[in-house]
Amino acid sequence: MKDIIKMGVILLIFTAISAAVLGVTNSKTEVIIQERLHAENIAAIAALLPIAEDFELVEDATLEGRNLLVEVYEGSTGGEIVGYTVKANPNGYGGRVEVLTGISMDGKVTGVKIGTQSETPGLGTKVTEPSFLNQFVDRGVEKDFIATKGGEAGDEYINAITGATVSTEAVTEGVNVARRVFEEVLKSR
Amino acid sequence: MKFGRIFSKGILFDNPVFVQMLGMCPTLAVTNTAENGLGMGLATTAVLLGSNTVISLLRKFVPAKIRIPVFVVVIATFVTMIGMVLNAFVPALYASLGIFIPLIVVNCLILARAESFASKNSAIGSLVDGLGMGLGFTLALVILGVVREIIGYGSIFGTSLFGEGFQPATIIAMPPGAFLVLGLLLALFNKIMAKNVNEL
Repeated sequence: MKDIIKMGVILLIFTAISAAVLGVTNSKTEVIIQERLHAENIAAIAALLPIAEDFELVEDATLEGRNLLVEVYEGSTGGEIVGYTVKANPNGYGGRVEVLTGISMDGKVTGVKIGTQSETPGLGTKVTEPSFLNQFVDRGVEKDFIATKGGEAGDEYINAITGATVSTEAVTEGVNVARRVFEEVLKSR
Repeated sequence: MKFGRIFSKGILFDNPVFVQMLGMCPTLAVTNTAENGLGMGLATTAVLLGSNTVISLLRKFVPAKIRIPVFVVVIATFVTMIGMVLNAFVPALYASLGIFIPLIVVNCLILARAESFASKNSAIGSLVDGLGMGLGFTLALVILGVVREIIGYGSIFGTSLFGEGFQPATIIAMPPGAFLVLGLLLALFNKIMAKNVNEL
């Protein structure tokens, strides 16, 4: 019995020292990490909506409970709202794909970007390339986008990437989530 | 044992990956590019240096019955610290290594060195052993990463080698490729070592 208490106390001392060391390290690094994450987030969405100068997170009850929607930022210039950036996380081939879409107030896609993803290297990861993503830019958002392999012409058709159908569908769905939330809620806020 | 001998054991004769086959999980998982291999190797080396030194200094105060929990606490502390520091100062590497940074805790190489070396030897010897083993691990990961990156992406440390016309063999950059390349490198390493030993 005495032995067990002794062992317990020794372990307690070690874990207490370890906790103290980690606490100090955390307090030194946490500020830097938080600042960087915030700056990265703003930099990412600023590239999607170049006309806006200030960004603010939209906290609105009407946005809650929408399928696949993560967060919405409101972009403004001189106090006037010029557009929104929408983050969605549809399912891809290897898990969730983070799709960021910028939409201007006049109903056009201003930019699409992929955040974290785990698609197949060399195939699915091609959806992160500008040659694919720029297809969405300057298109209107009145109708759902449709990924196609046949090369149909039309404002809502997006050329799919060969061998990466699921990844293409995921990104298209992500942009469509943004499109719908814009048409149904954000446009008339 | 001389320090030079302890050091060279880790790099070559007892190489953690090619000879002892320790730490196979990160070896297979994060060597798809040379940079990831180097980052993982150096992070593991840093943990090994810290844990080996501290465990060696504490070896007189730790009762044999609870040495394993104490070792694990020491190792986990260093791994968590390295994780925080990488996240703060080298975010790109932190992002690409992902879950494999906290998993350094369960890298059997680190516990193996604590149990078989640091708990029985002086602090300086343990530091040298940690450096040798860590760099040996890093070397193996970088070799694996270089081979896989050249074949799987056609680049080395992110610099494209062959231009647009090159068609990379993507399988080498994916998990099966790790097993293929590691197997071939093991065969090669053993062949070279066997020849050298015979000549000695």
